[in-house]
Amino acid sequence: MNERQGNLPFLLNCSRVGDVVKNRIFLMSPAIFIMLAFGVVPLFIMLYYSFLSDGPSPTFTLQNYANFFQKAFYLKLTWKTIQMSLIVTLISIVIAYPAAYIIAKVIQRGQNLLLLFIIIPFWTSQLVRAYSWMNLLQDGGILEMFLRKLHLIGDGSLGILFTQTAVIISLVHIFFPYMVLTIYMSLDKIQPSLLEASKSLGATPFETFRRIVLPLSKPGIVTGSILVFVPCLGVFAEPRILGGPNGSVIGTVIEDQFFEINGWSFGAAIAFILLVMVFLSIWITSRLIKRGD
Amino acid sequence: MRLHKGLLSVLLASFLVVSGCGSNGQGTPDTSGGQGGNGGEQTLVVVNWKDYGSDDPEMIKAFEESCSCKVVHEYMASEEELLTRLKTGGVGKLDVILPNASILPVAIQEGLLEPIDVDKLENYQYINKTFKNIPENEKDGQVYAVPWVWGSTSIAYNSNVIKDEIDSINVLWDEKYKGQIAFRDDFNDAVMIAAIAANQDPNNPSDMEAVKQKLLEQKPLNRTYWKTGDEFSKLFANNQISIGVAWSGNTAAMKQAGQPIKYVIPKEGAIGWVDNWAIVKDSPHKDLAMKFIDFMIGKDFQTKWVNKGGPAPVNTQVVDNLDPAFVQEMGLDEEAISKLFFISYHTEDEKKAWNELWHEVKAQ
Repeated sequence: MNERQGNLPFLLNCSRVGDVVKNRIFLMSPAIFIMLAFGVVPLFIMLYYSFLSDGPSPTFTLQNYANFFQKAFYLKLTWKTIQMSLIVTLISIVIAYPAAYIIAKVIQRGQNLLLLFIIIPFWTSQLVRAYSWMNLLQDGGILEMFLRKLHLIGDGSLGILFTQTAVIISLVHIFFPYMVLTIYMSLDKIQPSLLEASKSLGATPFETFRRIVLPLSKPGIVTGSILVFVPCLGVFAEPRILGGPNGSVIGTVIEDQFFEINGWSFGAAIAFILLVMVFLSIWITSRLIKRGD
Repeated sequence: MRLHKGLLSVLLASFLVVSGCGSNGQGTPDTSGGQGGNGGEQTLVVVNWKDYGSDDPEMIKAFEESCSCKVVHEYMASEEELLTRLKTGGVGKLDVILPNASILPVAIQEGLLEPIDVDKLENYQYINKTFKNIPENEKDGQVYAVPWVWGSTSIAYNSNVIKDEIDSINVLWDEKYKGQIAFRDDFNDAVMIAAIAANQDPNNPSDMEAVKQKLLEQKPLNRTYWKTGDEFSKLFANNQISIGVAWSGNTAAMKQAGQPIKYVIPKEGAIGWVDNWAIVKDSPHKDLAMKFIDFMIGKDFQTKWVNKGGPAPVNTQVVDNLDPAFVQEMGLDEEAISKLFFISYHTEDEKKAWNELWHEVKAQ
């Protein structure tokens, strides 16, 4: 395991996909082409743009990057976005792990159906879901009425809509299915015989979980965390619609550069800074995890 | 095998036919055509927003019949995009476009528009002179743009909740309404409204620091910021807000839907905008374009559209015939118009500075 970690992107470690890549690289060539054409090349175009000045005759400039670091609020928003994404990731793990565990290990039948239920929200547009949360969470809304019926809240208003909490709820709803799927996949691979062996050797269920299940499902947690954390950094619609006056995140700034003003170069620069931060954080996380092994 | 080839060619042919039809409908129409086609019928190419009056088949029919021509629409996604389209091959192909002050000076400066002899437009005399006098519409005494419809961005409130007389922009800064206000999430509106409240020229604020302070002061009083008209309507209808920055057109629609909404142009002023028709340089159908514009600003069309819930008409004959109560409530009267600051042209650098300031306020 460790040997492979050295020369392959750690993402591939999480499943047996790595072996397939090694053995049948030609089968992967269409996928590699798509990655290059729609992933890597656009990235370089973005990088190129970020060094251009705006206007009819663009020249090379570092101004876009300088601008980002000159104003404190850009970094502040970036930091806020990272914190928000971390919280969403952590909550997703807490919610997704038991769900994945039940689907993979507890129930005997109907796994596919349950997985389908988890994926169904993907078929609704993100914007529609944001507006739905608005109706659910608003003062005098459905959640408030429900909680009042249960006497869980008094006469005051719920006060969740237009706060950071509302944004986090909607983002967890959007992204946690990724986490369920990746954790499920790694749990599903654990041989039942391992658990039986642990039991017969006298381990308590908790010990079995801590020393066998959890370590073996770690790759799923890591992959899931990346799949939740990274797109979270770029969201702009949910914070704008549900976050209230303090809803701004770095994604809203980037969005404006492209849709409100002719600020493509600056938008590209911010996006690239964000990208570097993402890669750094993923790299650090993977180092920490390796050390943990 | 032969069968496959046959099938393939049929598929290919049908694809070509379909894509051909598509380009006649909405894409880039064959502008030279039409003349040869339906017995000398001309085709006028108009660029406008989708579902924005001139592409309503029922309303445009009268024009097409009167001049035995066909009006074909292409749609714009933004003012910037319209300008780009003019610069990249639009000249000589497109006939009539709908620019506003944000791109007009550039389009005129770069020679992308034809000067318009307004004396030849029968209905030009009926256009409210406030809109005719907007400086962006002309250069060196030549008119390049004819006002068509307009609107304002001002204050609307729930008359069931707020019983006070609202007449000042400072209500948006009033602690009394804390948590019930929705300011607009738009850098242009934000800076202009704050500048009006700070007693500065909203199109040219001299003290941006003061504008920023105003916006920072206002921020904690908001329930939220809104961006799209739909968002505002929802917030209002669901009683999440009771006062805020609002669009005249949106407010009119909400009023018609039975909402207890009141629209005011405060004494300090509010924001105004105008959409104008212009003729593209070297338009293949200049005379027809003139007739089209004349029809668009004419009493018939403008009356029909405002009754269908369209934006405010520029034609004074039309406004004179509207219900005076409606005119007064929606701020279409002379007194309200005189208080408006019409959005003027701004350079890219100015827009960027305003946008950055707005993000800085929101990030605090």
